[in-house]
Amino acid sequence: MGDGTRSNRPAWLQQYDLVGKIGEGTYGLVFLAKSKLASNKGKCIAIKKFKGSKDGDGVSPTAIREIMLLREISHENVVKLVNVHINHSDMSLYLAFDYAEHDIYEIIKHHREKVSQPIKEYTVKSLLWQLLNGLNYLHSNWIIHRDLKPSNILVMGEGDEQGVVKIADFGLARIYQAPLKPLSDNGVVVTIWYRAPELLLGAKHYTSAVDMWAVGCIFAELLTLKPLFQGVEVKATPNPFQLDQLEKIFKVLGHPTQEKWPTLVNLPCWQNDQQHIQSRKYDNPGLHSVVHLPQKTPAYDLLSKMLEYDPRKRVTAAQALEHEYFRIEPPPGRNALVPSQPGEKAVNYPARPVDTTTDFEGSTSVQASQPVSSGNAVSGSLAAPSVVAARPVPRQMPMVGMPRMPGAPGIAAFNLSSQASMAGLNPNNIPMPRAASQAHQQQLRRKDPGMGMPNTGYPQQKSRRF
Amino acid sequence: MAANFWTSSHSKQLLDQEEVDTVQPADKDKGITLDDLRVVKLHMTNHIARLAQQVKVRQRVIATAVAYFRRVYTRRSMTEYDPCLVAPTCLYLASKAEESTVPAKLLVFWLKKLYADDRYKFEIRDILEMEMKLLEALDYYLVIYHPYRALTPLLQDAGMTDLTVPALSLVNDTYKMDLILIYPPYMISLACIYIASVLKDKDTNSWFEELRVDMNVIKNISMEILDFYDNYKLPTEERVNAAMNKLAVKT
Repeated sequence: MGDGTRSNRPAWLQQYDLVGKIGEGTYGLVFLAKSKLASNKGKCIAIKKFKGSKDGDGVSPTAIREIMLLREISHENVVKLVNVHINHSDMSLYLAFDYAEHDIYEIIKHHREKVSQPIKEYTVKSLLWQLLNGLNYLHSNWIIHRDLKPSNILVMGEGDEQGVVKIADFGLARIYQAPLKPLSDNGVVVTIWYRAPELLLGAKHYTSAVDMWAVGCIFAELLTLKPLFQGVEVKATPNPFQLDQLEKIFKVLGHPTQEKWPTLVNLPCWQNDQQHIQSRKYDNPGLHSVVHLPQKTPAYDLLSKMLEYDPRKRVTAAQALEHEYFRIEPPPGRNALVPSQPGEKAVNYPARPVDTTTDFEGSTSVQASQPVSSGNAVSGSLAAPSVVAARPVPRQMPMVGMPRMPGAPGIAAFNLSSQASMAGLNPNNIPMPRAASQAHQQQLRRKDPGMGMPNTGYPQQKSRRF
Repeated sequence: MAANFWTSSHSKQLLDQEEVDTVQPADKDKGITLDDLRVVKLHMTNHIARLAQQVKVRQRVIATAVAYFRRVYTRRSMTEYDPCLVAPTCLYLASKAEESTVPAKLLVFWLKKLYADDRYKFEIRDILEMEMKLLEALDYYLVIYHPYRALTPLLQDAGMTDLTVPALSLVNDTYKMDLILIYPPYMISLACIYIASVLKDKDTNSWFEELRVDMNVIKNISMEILDFYDNYKLPTEERVNAAMNKLAVKT
């Protein structure tokens, strides 16, 4: 129990060393902590805090839905909820997850801004395969994720699960087997860039195919390092119709026709056609030229099946896993981040930036954000990624370069400084070799990603690279 | 999970009758008997349904709330967790879990309006605090399967859709017992169909045989339901108050 000075602190807090804040969303904050429990000592945990509400309406239904689903599901490619904690004094709720060092958003960004090279085919294919594998599990359990986007697809860092994909953020997920209300009732979902056309046109009863559309968009983004359909969202309208997003889609895939998509005419926003979208004409450069893939390749074939207009014809996760793309060289593996060729260097993805000035209460140890003096080895502003949650926009979080109080309550000073130096107190965020762990890391990466693992259901590994 | 009851947390948490029929030590100290426990749970089931009628939620929300309520008292005492507060809070939590959120304010309003007795009146804050305690008591397992889902397809398969109304009201009544904590929901649906068919003089033997389910379990559930109708129907106000007053005693 807490001592006299911190009597509000719940006992469970003692089992963690707080490292800092790693993300922020409308629901609350995400923290990185290390377990102090003997069974799990030093293990990194991401803790998602849901703000309490004393006079409002208690635990947010989003949190309830997320806990409810996460408590039932268990799959290698779905994030693992390890604990739930409650702080009764301020009525806040904490979900503790296994920590994942990377996510697809950061991986793409790193390649775009730092590596200036596309992501290796082996990595793209392995990430995609695992994403589909997790999604297939969810869909076969009647769960639609509804908010798939690169930042919600986590990838494990160093350790025995290195390079394994974990689908995260189930705040919008739904069991759709027997909903009490039409699925469209609880608000428009999915970040606009990854939103399926049937949603943009006001479909009332949508299906798991909305997730497959998002996977298609993510696949294209992995190939080109650029979001495929970057529409501008019109906010503050209860209407799902988003003209700019639809135009972005039509410009690449061509106009949808009733022939290709028979139920199109039944969709409310297509029927009303207030903005005369039906009669617009679009040049059709073709998907293949946007993603730079020859039309005859298996990769193109799979992508175009994910971006099929008619949700009933769109490829399912189960079908996609069987696609030829995953049978040809290089086959996908469990560790998506190992080098794909002998002698090739592994990409060193940067660790997640941690704001070590924020504690579990969300209060910052320094009052206001201020410009950073160049004398401090702090990059001007650090991206604030989220571990398990929607990425806030704008993503930049002012990082205060003040000396930290050593031994701040609940923070292990040693961890704090070592984390900070890796995490981004590093000019220009250049990935730095992690001296101590480097050798170990190399060894891990040399391992065959498919070997030594119990039967994980990966497509057969033929000649594996070493 | 959602596709398969057998892999769900609900399935893993099914209990034996004896485990459900346990009076918590703190309650035993106050002289609460197993019969008192049954009476209070039945009374609170009706309380939840009455409240639910006012705030207009679907039957499944009521069913989930009652399942939470009954599950809580297999782990916690009524001394520690006041059933008068736990009941509306279960409805509140179930409304969120079943995506038909009812504002706490509305529940508080109806509690005050429906009951003269102060025992049943609470403030929003009380409900919100209890919501968190309930989440803990339920160990954050919130998905509940109900006999309703299987009922319609089963009746269709048996070609007895004319039994829908009696079978449905039987299913509703099963929540006045602890069956949802003990048996897989589809077994409860089958027992209700069985009773309905006997009441309406329908021969279902061959259909049940083809199902290859354990008829002994179905018959046990049916016996319990019939036994319930014989013995408990509606406890008198005096009987409820007698049990509630035992709980109210300060130790």
